[in-house]
Amino acid sequence: MTLSTRVTTSLKQTLLYCCLFIVLLFLIFPVYYMVITSLKPPGEAYRLPPTLWPEHPTLSAYPFMFEAWGYWQTLTNTILVAGASAFGATFLGGLAAYGFSRMSFMGKPLMYSFMVGSMAVPSMVIVGPIFLAYRSLQLLDTRLGLVLVFLASGLPVAFLTLFSYFKAIPRELDDAASIDGCNWFSILFRIIVPIAMPGVSVSFLLLFIAGWNEFLFAFTLTITPATRLLTVRLFEVPVRSDINTIPYDLIATGGVLILLPLVPLLLRVQKQLVEGILAGAVKE
Amino acid sequence: MSRSSVSRRPLLLRFVAFLSSKYSVVYLFVLPAVIIRMIFTLAPLIQTLAMSFTNKSMMNQERFIGLKNYLDLIQDKTLIAAFFFTLVYTGASMLVETALGLGIAVLLTQKLLGRWLSNFIMLLPWVMAPLLAAIVWKIMYYEDGGILNDLFRRGGLISEPVRWLSDANTARLSVILTTVWKNVSWVALILMAGMGSVSPEIYEAATVDGANSFQRFRYITLPLLRSSLLLVLMFRGMGEIQTFEQITGLTRGGPGTATQTLAVYAYRRFFQELRYGYGSAINVLLLVLTIAIGGFFAWRLYSASR
Repeated sequence: MTLSTRVTTSLKQTLLYCCLFIVLLFLIFPVYYMVITSLKPPGEAYRLPPTLWPEHPTLSAYPFMFEAWGYWQTLTNTILVAGASAFGATFLGGLAAYGFSRMSFMGKPLMYSFMVGSMAVPSMVIVGPIFLAYRSLQLLDTRLGLVLVFLASGLPVAFLTLFSYFKAIPRELDDAASIDGCNWFSILFRIIVPIAMPGVSVSFLLLFIAGWNEFLFAFTLTITPATRLLTVRLFEVPVRSDINTIPYDLIATGGVLILLPLVPLLLRVQKQLVEGILAGAVKE
Repeated sequence: MSRSSVSRRPLLLRFVAFLSSKYSVVYLFVLPAVIIRMIFTLAPLIQTLAMSFTNKSMMNQERFIGLKNYLDLIQDKTLIAAFFFTLVYTGASMLVETALGLGIAVLLTQKLLGRWLSNFIMLLPWVMAPLLAAIVWKIMYYEDGGILNDLFRRGGLISEPVRWLSDANTARLSVILTTVWKNVSWVALILMAGMGSVSPEIYEAATVDGANSFQRFRYITLPLLRSSLLLVLMFRGMGEIQTFEQITGLTRGGPGTATQTLAVYAYRRFFQELRYGYGSAINVLLLVLTIAIGGFFAWRLYSASR
């Protein structure tokens, strides 16, 4: 390698790292600013000019928000609703994916198009009638009602993700198992699911995160704090009685309290998740 | 049993006979998902369509009024403004997201160090709820000495504070910026997967033939990414056209109605003014637009794959 090409290469490398730095700064700065705002004491959060690093970092906003939001109750609600709906959708979507990948039956193309095509229906179009129906069915303001809606809206994602995983598993395995006397259910749960476990966990995780972050249904179908989920409570940040301004430190604290529980999850499953997002989106 | 006698048996009996045959087990697998999906998507959809032809509201008796809601839509200035803003917002967001996402994807496939860290940072905006993203940006957009105005002023880029959310046109750009921030990393991830399926030999061959990096991008990467790009445009287009949360979190449609999208307007009519019929008519318009975008890109994808 001649000197000039080496200089060009290292120049190019430097340029690339500069670009990378700018991109990552753009992506992380809002999250960073949220975190440090939550660590500022109330006075500093409103003071001008704003600081990029809290001069007197404090966690005092956190107990205040725990108390004001009834955080544990809301956190439990969110975990229960997101978890149950993600589990249900993965289970039922998996059953359907197995049927579609292994058997032929009456109405198969129609049902497939329905499962995929119904993803195009905006939530805003269906939330109204669901709200009206829930009001007469007494499902309004219940966790069960939320679980059912989340489950239904997660079904196509679970179905498509698992369908692409199941399709890749050779049929010979099914045949061998069925000669050994396995029925459809034991083939699915003892042979297919263990092989497709990465797909199952990715489907569950994607739907859990989707349920965690859902807003429109959670906002319209719940009324009392007892059934509220975390995201909705961003609109219920209390105003301090002594300060007559928007409580930025409290809002930021609320944001951290919503994001933080997802971070360990994200760290653990980062690689799998990236692959899963890609698998779900690219394979079909 | 002859063929004709089978067809003369009552339909219900034949159905029961089919269900008890050994192939019917497949419906145990498939039907729960399909039925739940029908209850929670198809049924509400049909009801929205039906309500859009009535004057149903909290106040009056429900009555069929034909196309009146739709005729009112055409004359509703707020709706027309929301319609055009939604189109501009959708077009701008999806194009910027895709272009920027393509750039980031190219950058991250250059074998740079810190792949783990950049993956983690990329996933942060993706994992945040759209409403949370909006709230975070709202803190930064704060006009009287918020962090963005302060940084730009210290950097000498501006002398007057930018009115991020209180000036109509600036607010329109601000909500687009927030949406792009939220979604660009998802776009980049999908496109990176598309690039991963391009075999390195093609690039090596092109390099040997004397193609520079721009030519390699233009004549190899872009054509091979065609279906990934269409897919990204389809998902982002269908996502942005129904934007509700970012707008609700940032501006609630303001200042005035400058950043009101169709979904925000439909919500206002349906849930705040309790005009179910008129709100449903707006929703039908939203549905038609979503299907149009989805259908267009699905058709392009289909013809690209042939």
